[in-house]
Amino acid sequence: MTQLRQFSINSDWKSGAGKGVRIAIIDSGVDKNHQDLEGKIDKSYEAKRDNNKIIFEETDRGDTAGHGTACAGIISRIAPKAKLSSIRVLGSGGLGDGHAFLAGLEFAVNEKFNVINLSLGTTKPQFAPPLHDLLDRAYQSGCIVVAAANNFPQPSFPSVFSSSLISVSKNSETDYFNFGFKFGEIIELTAPGVNVKTTWLNNGHRKLTGNSFACPHIVGIIALLLEKYPKMTPFEVKTALYSIAISNQKQKN
Amino acid sequence: MTKIDEKNIENKLRQVIETVDVANALTEPLTATIDSLLKTSAAKMNSEEASVLIRHGSEGDLLFLCAIGKVADKIVGLRLPAGKGIAGFVFSSGQPIAVSDVGEEESFYAEVDKKTGYSTETVLATPLIYSGNVIGVLEYVNRVGFAPYEPFTPEEMELAAIYADTIAGIVNAYESASLFKDLSKRILSEEDSSSFSDIQNWLKKLRNTTHHKDMIELAILVYEISHRGEAERNLCKEILNSIVNFTDNNLDSKFSRL
Repeated sequence: MTQLRQFSINSDWKSGAGKGVRIAIIDSGVDKNHQDLEGKIDKSYEAKRDNNKIIFEETDRGDTAGHGTACAGIISRIAPKAKLSSIRVLGSGGLGDGHAFLAGLEFAVNEKFNVINLSLGTTKPQFAPPLHDLLDRAYQSGCIVVAAANNFPQPSFPSVFSSSLISVSKNSETDYFNFGFKFGEIIELTAPGVNVKTTWLNNGHRKLTGNSFACPHIVGIIALLLEKYPKMTPFEVKTALYSIAISNQKQKN
Repeated sequence: MTKIDEKNIENKLRQVIETVDVANALTEPLTATIDSLLKTSAAKMNSEEASVLIRHGSEGDLLFLCAIGKVADKIVGLRLPAGKGIAGFVFSSGQPIAVSDVGEEESFYAEVDKKTGYSTETVLATPLIYSGNVIGVLEYVNRVGFAPYEPFTPEEMELAAIYADTIAGIVNAYESASLFKDLSKRILSEEDSSSFSDIQNWLKKLRNTTHHKDMIELAILVYEISHRGEAERNLCKEILNSIVNFTDNNLDSKFSRL
């Protein structure tokens, strides 16, 4: 039986680079040939339909939308030594529905990634129960899932679940260490997500605004924490993030 | 052709036109309402161009249904392949995003810009969600005035989500009306062929005549004029009626005038 243990963190985690941390980006793919991402993309998988199943195969097809590449750029800027993998569930070929999204998350959990970047969501209520079960499984196996909130009156799954994942919305900060915390709200963490300059298709860069880009900032921060404290559980990571965010806010005030 | 046959065909033709009219009457006010909402919202968002893209086919392609701005006429009807560009991503992911500095590269909206001659520099795209399903994308492009444009703000992103919520309901109604339109077209062309066989036979006969090309050209001309505006339509009707009245006594039957 695992012993309960106390843990504490020092600010030295900030000097890390995410070494040894495996991160999955479930998105539109990643352009691994981008000059800023060279050598940083470990594996690239793509969702494919196999009769009634969705399977994942390694692929050389990069990213047609740019969104996954943008998320990878943000993570690698904060945690340049983390091992990033792309799990492409959006794009051509009729994929991009809730089933591919769910299958991609299941694949990432089964592959035991340390952190999963989920700058996506679905508003279809039929996906809420299976997503909830899957996130509980991820939580219990030590896999940290970070999801972006949406901006709509409709709830977006899984970001509205509060127990087994970390949900993030955007703020206007520029310093990624200065992330925030809003206790009592559905989406508790805030991170930079306004005019964020990051990687884009064809070796380009873009300034982007959206909760989608707040999420990878927190993923990068978690990679730094895990490099320093590799045995942290999802619960401990979440607690540490809240604690750091509150301390950020106190310093601000 | 006897007088009775002609009367019969004329009645059925009226039925065809009325059915198509009813179908158009269902969709046109909806696209007009979307246009109107685009104009109002673009003014509030200080945006130069705004458009609504809807799903097209089962592969995730998008079609520009409505647009306002300088290149609106060129945009409406254009198709975007699945997953391509910002709109493709927003449609497949359901996540709204704003992108600036687009002008740095050619790759962004190269296809659309090439066809319209427009230069996309800053974009805000938000999904149209109805009953939990993403059914299209609302886009605002560039600012009023001259480049470089200010990026769209988080507050504008929230405002766009409110407009998107309203527009999504209208797009859903448009899709339902379009289904009826397609259904009525199908009924007229295939399913109710027995009832409209007279018209089909008449059209077949018509195609075999030497006047056919002339008549098609005339029909296209009338179609083009009728889409230029109410004044042009009225003028066209007046001229055609005058010709009809003038030549009425010289023709064998009312129907052969067509």
